[in-house]
Amino acid sequence: MVDTSIIAGGWLAAGLTIFIFSFLYRDNPFFKIAEHLYLGAGMGWLFQVSVNSVWIPKIWEPVSKGELLVIIPSVMGLTLLTQFIPKLSWMSRYGFTFMMGYGSGLAIPAGLSTDFMSQIAGTIKPFSLLASLSAMDIFNALLVAGGAICVLFYFFFSVEHKGHLKKVSNVGIYFLMVYFGAAFGNTVMARFSLLYGRFDDLFTFSGSNYFYATQVVLACMVLYFLLHGFFSGKKEDAAGEEAA
Amino acid sequence: MKLIKKHIPLAIVFVTGVLTLVSYYVPHKVSVDYIETMNKWENIVVAFAFLLGLISLFFSHYHKIKRKGDGWGYSLFVFIGFLAMIIPAYTSGGKQMVEGVLTPLGWAYKYIYTALSGTMFAVLAFYIVSTAYRSFRIKSPQAFVLFVAAFILILGKVPLGQIIWDSALGWTGQNAAGVIEWIMSVPAVAGKRGIMIGISIGAIVTSLKIIFGIEKQYMGKD
Repeated sequence: MVDTSIIAGGWLAAGLTIFIFSFLYRDNPFFKIAEHLYLGAGMGWLFQVSVNSVWIPKIWEPVSKGELLVIIPSVMGLTLLTQFIPKLSWMSRYGFTFMMGYGSGLAIPAGLSTDFMSQIAGTIKPFSLLASLSAMDIFNALLVAGGAICVLFYFFFSVEHKGHLKKVSNVGIYFLMVYFGAAFGNTVMARFSLLYGRFDDLFTFSGSNYFYATQVVLACMVLYFLLHGFFSGKKEDAAGEEAA
Repeated sequence: MKLIKKHIPLAIVFVTGVLTLVSYYVPHKVSVDYIETMNKWENIVVAFAFLLGLISLFFSHYHKIKRKGDGWGYSLFVFIGFLAMIIPAYTSGGKQMVEGVLTPLGWAYKYIYTALSGTMFAVLAFYIVSTAYRSFRIKSPQAFVLFVAAFILILGKVPLGQIIWDSALGWTGQNAAGVIEWIMSVPAVAGKRGIMIGISIGAIVTSLKIIFGIEKQYMGKD
């Protein structure tokens, strides 16, 4: 026996899922309702995360214990809200400059170690193990190194790309295309796995233990589109006759 | 006034940026504590920045309802959706599960937020297919390479694609999973590394420009 709250949840989830899928047919009020609900629910979720992970443990609790140092970032944060008062909006710079300064200071070592140095190290490292590599591994290492150099050259604009240099740059484009193709393929598969998940949920909610939520909501949507099409067609005919 | 409006904010960027940068490379308790404190402060300021966005969104929809603008009725659902998450969050104390049972917040997250967000992104699958049709029209050798990489990756990850691969190219002794693995770890990595190195150089240069006050568009107009 399925709990009442779970049945209600099933109906709600099936309804919202079908409302959003209905956009594939055409824009309609049900999709717009679901779209606006998503916006509100998303903000609500983030707000409760913010309250429970920052406001309470990092501001309220320390201040209650007499740790007043957190008042400094809180005041800097409050200055951001002066954006709503044009005459005082300059004060928001205090909050923004803190975020920019800290973010920039952190981005330099992070960018250097994780993106710049580790990418170069990953390209060079296989060549230090040549003796223990198979012929295929050596070929792969050469391909990665050569490809990375060609791609970098494609983005290097200090020298005009012509003659042999243009050929190197063109080879870089092919490696970029392989990467873009692979990234595109991965994105497609990720989206489809989400789609399977939603279909799986709709299938679950179509069971008798959920009182056929999916079928009922789907039938209601089809009925809406039929009636809407019928009445809007009639209206158009009437308008056409009036114009004539 | 210029000091308060311009020079002090720029000094905050410089001091915070330089101290954060230096602290990363100084293996001392003071620098570790500094980074930890700054991380907490950053979280607090970001929480207020989120509040700024939230209030701005609410103002926008409130005004739409107030002046009965086009589709004002839908704006009501923004507030309904917000309350549908906030009220359960308040009653559940921010917990989704208690002793293996869904709390009202867990219920709202599972049946409202997950259903909406999952479907919203799942719908993109259909649009991605139509985009694929446009982008895969092979007009050049580069476009052909893009197509082949994407095609192998997409087909190779579904059972039907593996069956097709085995029947057509099974004689090569390679399976689709092996080829995908090779594409992802060799030529795609070469392309990605070039981009990542470029991005990191760009990020470092931009960060330096911000710290030294050369780039200050984020400060807005005087």
